Amino acid sequence: MKNGALIFLAVFVALGGSWCGFVLAPELQLGGAKQTTILNSSDVYPVGRPGEATQGSSVYRANGCAVCHTEQVRQTGITCEVVLTDAGKTPAAVTKVCVDIGVNMTDRTWPLPLPKTILTGLTKEEADAASGKITTAGGKVEIHIAATGPDIARGWGMRQSVAEDYLYDQPVQLGSLRAGPDLANAGARADANWQLLHLYAPKSVMKGSTMPPFRYLFEVRKIGREPSPDALKLPPEFAPHAGYEVVPTPEAMELAAYLSSLRATAPLYSAPIAP
Amino acid sequence: MSDELKSNISQPPDAGPTASRSTVPIWIILLTLLLLFLGAVYFDRHSGWFDKQVYAPYTSADELASYQPKSGEASMLAHGKAVYETYCGLCHGSDGLGKPAQAPPLAGSEWAAKDITSLARIPLAGLNGPIQVKGRDWNLSMAPMGASLSDADLAAVLTCIRESWGNKNGAVSADEVKAARAAISGHPPAAPNSPK
Repeated sequence: MKNGALIFLAVFVALGGSWCGFVLAPELQLGGAKQTTILNSSDVYPVGRPGEATQGSSVYRANGCAVCHTEQVRQTGITCEVVLTDAGKTPAAVTKVCVDIGVNMTDRTWPLPLPKTILTGLTKEEADAASGKITTAGGKVEIHIAATGPDIARGWGMRQSVAEDYLYDQPVQLGSLRAGPDLANAGARADANWQLLHLYAPKSVMKGSTMPPFRYLFEVRKIGREPSPDALKLPPEFAPHAGYEVVPTPEAMELAAYLSSLRATAPLYSAPIAP
Repeated sequence: MSDELKSNISQPPDAGPTASRSTVPIWIILLTLLLLFLGAVYFDRHSGWFDKQVYAPYTSADELASYQPKSGEASMLAHGKAVYETYCGLCHGSDGLGKPAQAPPLAGSEWAAKDITSLARIPLAGLNGPIQVKGRDWNLSMAPMGASLSDADLAAVLTCIRESWGNKNGAVSADEVKAARAAISGHPPAAPNSPK
């Protein structure tokens, strides 16, 4: 073959370059990720999921939940709020400073009730400057840092997802299509009982839901001597015939446990929010 | 038959297509270099240099650091609580109520409200002899438990004692502990007396 060595070299460089970019570089960057601590606390993050939730991760995978749901919250910006927590011994001086820095003081009870959010939508520099002026005047302020972005506005999380959130996931089921809402904080929004109702009959708890019902994860059976304690408490239009009850299978319980364990709300160094 | 076709026929049949060499125009080289330069500048400003902590929208480790909430009293209190549990909690109790015939209470103790040097003297130099706490007399001895702690750790644990269990006596800074340590160095253990 003409130029065989050259073609081999070119293919090798092209594949090797992709491998370095897609495999080696992320491994060097994040491969050593380990537990970190929550901001301003000595609590470690993340902690492993409970066993039932770990099994539920497999149910999540088997049912293809990741086809329609993502598990990653994106963030496009950061915003700071200045909150007055204490007007100090000389409220008049603090009030004067607040007027100077353009605080909107329309209510008559100023500066009560405390704590009061006095400035919003600031950058860190602006917030620090305002905080410095008020502190000099004798007041006490806190600076709240919040994430912004479409996902945050939809209530899908407090902050963006970072690598530590997935430390104990195997495999990581990020998902790429959002036919349904993001689930990175599903456990923070609803409890396991809600998840079970939603899995059996999505429209029973969420009007207009387009999720298909996962009825095969439940067993509709005749009520025995006593009703099962796990039986779903469904609204009448979704309930089975009289004398029957809907009992979740172990898979449904595991999946609900997994969904309840999805909770990425802790403030971290790499995703600071406060408080 | 057109003239063009005639001229083709007139060429030798085995000539084959040929290509001539020409140099790359200088503007393409300059444009490529400019794009590379701009790309490098953008990378430098926005990449965070592959720092694993830096995610968009943060663009550098310094920017991320500037957004960290100030390690305020809350974190000092949390740290102080941990130190307290290691060194103090066994006798004085996690609830700061002390133990009969073992250690006087810290919760609501007037000693926690005294000046920082007087308070810091107890863990730094130890305490022997009678002492009155919350109207009761105690006569025990305490080893200098805090002498080996760093200024920051001792400040955190003193803050914990002054700000926990209903005490509201203000935080203690590491500098204040340093000053207290200097003030009492070489002095005998705290003279047992009641707070004035």
